[in-house]
Amino acid sequence: MAKNPEHRDLFPGALEIMILQSLRLQPMHGYALVKHIKQVSDNLLQVEEGSLYPALQRMLREDWLESELGMSAKGRPTRIYRLTDAGVRHLEKEVVSFEKMFAGITRVLAVARA
Amino acid sequence: MQGLSKLFSRRRRYDDISVSIREHIEERTEELVETGMARKQAEQAARREFGNVTLIEERSREAWQWPAIESMLADVRFSLRQFRKAPGFTAAVVTILALGIGANTTVFSIVDAVMLRPLPYDQPQRLVEVKSSEQQHFESSDVSYPDFFDWRAQNHAFDHLVSYHNTSFTLTGVTRALRLEGQVVSWDLLPALGISPELGRGFTPDEEKRGSHSLLISHSLWVSQFAGDRSVLGRTINLSGSLYTIVGVMPPSFRFPVNQPKDSFWATLAADDEPSEPHPALTNRGMHFLTVIGRLKPGVTVEQADQEMKALAAHLAQQFPKTNTKHSSAQVETVLQSLLGNTSTLLMVVLGAVALVLLIACGNIANLLLARMRERQREIAMRCALGAGRRRIVRQLLAESLMQGVAGGLLGCALAFVATPAALRLIGDSVPRAADAGVNLPVLGFALAVSLLSSVVFGIVPAIAASKTDLVTTLKEGGRSDTGGHNWIRSSLIVGQVTLGIVLTACAGLLMTSFLKLSHMDEGFRPDHILTFTFETPDSRYKDTRPQFYQEYFDKLRALPGVQSASGSMFLPMVDSLAVISFQNPEHPVAEGKQPAAELTLISPSYFRTMQVPLLEGRDLTDADNVKAAQVMLVNQTFAQQYFPGENVVGKKLKPGVGDGTPGGPPWREIVGVVGNIRHSATQLELSPAMYLPASQAPNWCCLYSVVRTSVDPMSLEPEVRRLVSSMDRDIPVTDVRTMPELLSLELAQPRFAMTLLGAFAGLALILTVVGLYGVMAYSVSRRTREIGVRLALGAQRSTVLKMVLRDAAVLLLAGIVLGAVASLASASVLKTMLYGIAPRDPIVLAVVCISVAFAGLLAAYIPALRAASIDPTQALRSE
Repeated sequence: MAKNPEHRDLFPGALEIMILQSLRLQPMHGYALVKHIKQVSDNLLQVEEGSLYPALQRMLREDWLESELGMSAKGRPTRIYRLTDAGVRHLEKEVVSFEKMFAGITRVLAVARA
Repeated sequence: MQGLSKLFSRRRRYDDISVSIREHIEERTEELVETGMARKQAEQAARREFGNVTLIEERSREAWQWPAIESMLADVRFSLRQFRKAPGFTAAVVTILALGIGANTTVFSIVDAVMLRPLPYDQPQRLVEVKSSEQQHFESSDVSYPDFFDWRAQNHAFDHLVSYHNTSFTLTGVTRALRLEGQVVSWDLLPALGISPELGRGFTPDEEKRGSHSLLISHSLWVSQFAGDRSVLGRTINLSGSLYTIVGVMPPSFRFPVNQPKDSFWATLAADDEPSEPHPALTNRGMHFLTVIGRLKPGVTVEQADQEMKALAAHLAQQFPKTNTKHSSAQVETVLQSLLGNTSTLLMVVLGAVALVLLIACGNIANLLLARMRERQREIAMRCALGAGRRRIVRQLLAESLMQGVAGGLLGCALAFVATPAALRLIGDSVPRAADAGVNLPVLGFALAVSLLSSVVFGIVPAIAASKTDLVTTLKEGGRSDTGGHNWIRSSLIVGQVTLGIVLTACAGLLMTSFLKLSHMDEGFRPDHILTFTFETPDSRYKDTRPQFYQEYFDKLRALPGVQSASGSMFLPMVDSLAVISFQNPEHPVAEGKQPAAELTLISPSYFRTMQVPLLEGRDLTDADNVKAAQVMLVNQTFAQQYFPGENVVGKKLKPGVGDGTPGGPPWREIVGVVGNIRHSATQLELSPAMYLPASQAPNWCCLYSVVRTSVDPMSLEPEVRRLVSSMDRDIPVTDVRTMPELLSLELAQPRFAMTLLGAFAGLALILTVVGLYGVMAYSVSRRTREIGVRLALGAQRSTVLKMVLRDAAVLLLAGIVLGAVASLASASVLKTMLYGIAPRDPIVLAVVCISVAFAGLLAAYIPALRAASIDPTQALRSE
């Protein structure tokens, strides 16, 4: 998932959840998504294009997203991705399960350190 | 519907993906430009960062596809385009494959029918055959009734143990007297086989008792002779003068044994219970003529049954030393094994051979593909450059191979449809159950599996080699570079082909030599212009008048125009049927169970004259040697040498165990003559001692084959002969009308079949190998044109160049020949049971094979070598 070897591989589903969360804030096109995730994560996470576009298409097929013709920041036509109601539901479900997982991992690490 | 709408909107989706990606890269470029980078560099950097655009687009699209099927369809479409581009190449590959797969499918269809299909009885894996055998030798023999009865009463391994032997009767009282083949069986044959009659009932235990005459008839006999009339049950019919009551009709598919003619009957062993015979069959422990099969009890293995039967046989040998000393053991094997015997070896050898041919063909195709990959390198490099992954390229190339394989497989199946009947004609009756062979579902499945397997075999190496293409150099040099590693792959392929070719050719050579020996073996008589046939003289009418009848008949037969001489014999040579009987020799008295034995044949006068067998000493039989005259016999040369070495045999007296009906047992007989040896079978290697007795002095023994030496085409006498016999008795039909050369050729059918098929396969293998070698050498010369040009320009002699190319070929050939010779020697013992008069490791055959392969190979290499030597240096150097 990350080009730089310092960045860890993300676990399955992590890219999707980040895309969904980003698009919940506002509809975006592909390049904007990459930049957004990079900025918000303080450069810790970098989305690889090789994963982004196939993931977007998969989510379109699952009807979590819809795409529409829009304008890029530079005023050129491109596809803008928007979250659907189904996408919101999926995101909420995933966030809950992720939070549980993080909590679990945190506890295990705490015990190991003690 | 949703899937469909997805399909329709897909084009738009794909466009969207492209638009998004394009915008992505442009936006990134502009950002870079804003940081002060030159536009061109910025564009390049943005692309590099993004990665393989085509690949990412393709992966994104895959979200909308059924990936496996869609990319397969793409592969298929692309392959078809490739085939259209190179129709000649494709046709060559498909043709080679079709031949290979067709041959494999044909052989497999026979193997399937003969070896793989279960016998047509209930749970056939539990059916076994029990043979009587001698402790020391594993030669097995038939079983006698008393032994069978003891086995049946004492065993614990079988649900049913049944005996059977073939018989033939003449059915009279119908429109035209009909000779029928049938079986005399134990009452519980049907329960043992797990088959019920179509109509009526099976036998009951009581029907084995003396005087019972119950009969089961086959469906086809019921239809042909009784018009399928259901009232046939209970009807009485006349079989060779005895009356039998039909109690049941068997289903149409029922045949027992499996090679029984369709018009057939089954009688109980009460038919053998003739108390008036001098040696009643049912109580004579010395008369071995039964086959015994049994149904194992559930849970009992073949080995356990074998142990039990061995113990039983040993016990009987102690109990009855006079008769059973030579039958002190037993063997149990499944009925299918026993039916196939050596045939399974034959079929496995043929199947192995044809598989090797396909392997060699695959080698050739692989080499062709490797050469073609060189031409396609630019195309493949281009596809790499456009973003195709290595696995994608291997998959695409394999898809091409698979399509060629499937095309070859389809054509091969079509070929097998035509070839199977032809192969069956070649086999004749020599392989049991083969006649049922045909291209059916399992055979087609086999063909498909072989097609796919061979596609992978010939496709994988070229595909992987091609996918290693070095992109930059290939594109730079315009596709002229050579991918590394091809050379040794091609060379090892050739060495492998030569190895397999040697193995196959050596096998074929051995079989051919063996067949030549067989067909040039001295039969001991002159087979041409001999007609043979037989008819029954049933006891019911000829018991007392048989000798007179035959004498009158042979006199009339000799008087027919075109007949030079005629005689009768109980057994014909070249049909592998014989009787062996023990005899007493007063000069060497031995205990009763250990007497020597020899082949026994009953004959009429002038038998040896008709067969043109030399009379070496004494006299031939005459019409005067009848029941009332002194009892006489003749022996063959081997008999004289073996039992009376260095003595004058004529005048000696022996007592062969042949009853003439007189009380007090068989009489003493004087040897009146010695004749040359006759082979009883075309595949018989060692001549055995034989005794010939006048049929007129053993009148209870029925019946004689007629042998007629003709001055005209033997078969042209058939109508005359039939008329003659029916004029003497219209109720005895003439059967088995055959010429002696025909009998000989039937005997040799199996060795001929093996030789012809292996010869054909070896020839094919050799051609493929030689063509393959030629291809590799020609290719290597064309690639080295420049190098050879330089050599010539620097003053190399043309003969040196010629030698250089030939030497390269010779190295490959030599490696293959050495490996092949070693492999042949290692695998030779497989053929042991199929060879006559030649050792499986015959050095001469192997040497001849190696030399011919070397010669053919060098000849194939000579053409490219000559081309190399005639290269024009200026041309060669200019062209690159």
